[in-house]
Amino acid sequence: MTTAIATAVEEGTLPGRVWMYSNYHCNLACSYCLTESAPQSPRRQLASDHMVEVATEAKELGFTSVGITGGEPFLRPDLPDLLATLAGILPVVVLTNATLFNDARLARLQALAGAPVQVQVSLDHPDPVPNDEMRGPGNFAKVIEAVPRLVGMGIHVRIATTAEHIDGEDRARLCALHRDLGVSDDDHIVRPIVRRGRAVDFGLGVEAGPPDLPAELTITADGAFWSPFGPTVHQDRLDLDLLITRTTRPLATPAAALLRLVEGRPPGEDTQLNIR
Amino acid sequence: MAVELVDASQAPLLARPYYGQGDPGPIVAALAQVPELLEVAMPFIGVALGPSAVPWRTKEIVILRTSALLECRYCVQSHTPVALDAGLSRAEVEALRGATSAAGAFTDEAERTLIHWIDAVAGGTGTVPPAVNAALHEHYGDSEVVELTMVVGVTLLLNRFCTTLELPTSPDVLARLEDEGLA
Repeated sequence: MTTAIATAVEEGTLPGRVWMYSNYHCNLACSYCLTESAPQSPRRQLASDHMVEVATEAKELGFTSVGITGGEPFLRPDLPDLLATLAGILPVVVLTNATLFNDARLARLQALAGAPVQVQVSLDHPDPVPNDEMRGPGNFAKVIEAVPRLVGMGIHVRIATTAEHIDGEDRARLCALHRDLGVSDDDHIVRPIVRRGRAVDFGLGVEAGPPDLPAELTITADGAFWSPFGPTVHQDRLDLDLLITRTTRPLATPAAALLRLVEGRPPGEDTQLNIR
Repeated sequence: MAVELVDASQAPLLARPYYGQGDPGPIVAALAQVPELLEVAMPFIGVALGPSAVPWRTKEIVILRTSALLECRYCVQSHTPVALDAGLSRAEVEALRGATSAAGAFTDEAERTLIHWIDAVAGGTGTVPPAVNAALHEHYGDSEVVELTMVVGVTLLLNRFCTTLELPTSPDVLARLEDEGLA
């Protein structure tokens, strides 16, 4: 049965991806983090069976892929198995800082080789010092080591660069670097910092509201939001301005509300800031 | 307050229409924590308690009497000025609030019967003695009884909501109560 959601996704009215915040804690504490994530952050973890049910219902409704973000998703011991399960339902992209990929974790990711799973790694600058100023000491070196190993395992890797400003020369060197690491230009995205979460305190980034943010349904332990840039945390308080519903199951409840909001948006209002 | 009231800067997408005219009041600001509840509850409450086939004055008798029985500070304070605006006298308002006898303040037989019925519905366990029901039906038709019952029910809901969440009465209402000598 074709649902209204499926039709909207097919017609491009609604983005096809459903995001899930697997957890909010992180081994890093980046200066522009949307969710003020850090090692001591409350975990606010989605149960694995909840995530599988969301993916299953997303597929039934007509969504076409799922995204996993956090926090650092790979802090969850169950993540490799969970990714394999989710990839059996819909294609998956998982966002990571790639600093936790020791031999044991990489071995557990072997099952993802050839599966419809993309591992999206954050890398913000071609030089260690400016990269690590934003992301923490040693980050650059760990990423440079992890990416070729993931690629070598047959895992699809993307690089996401989040930057306040990156000039032409730095961008060219960054692209040369990701190519050297085995990641093609098609798998490299550059996006601005969004002024939410910790970025507010550092005066970083661009203001962005619903017109600028793709209407990607985003599920968290606190409810369903408009875009993965929605469920941000500032001064330990969850932002509600992009909350859609507290109900996340059945997924049809927030999906229908999101579609109503999207259809009510004035024509021509769409993302202008390349935030994705 | 027992919960955080959502201000305009944090208003969720589905709640934003309620913030378009400024402060939407504490009931909306609390319900905005759960937008999917807000967007169905407010229209429902509006239909149940707003203008309808049952006269405004009659509805305010039900709302104020029920709120007084349930001892809802927020609802009694907020609806006292509304009841005055709906045409109830100061003596009638005081009687509905329990300060004086309703039988003494109200002379209209239909309204006296209505208040007796409200006391049975909202003041007891909900089971209304047959004689009280029969008396009500002498003055009100079936559709009116259904509406009046819904007004009591929605008021009960709001009484518990506002009391449990310790919602604050607006300064404007408190000032009006002072002016009227009904604080």
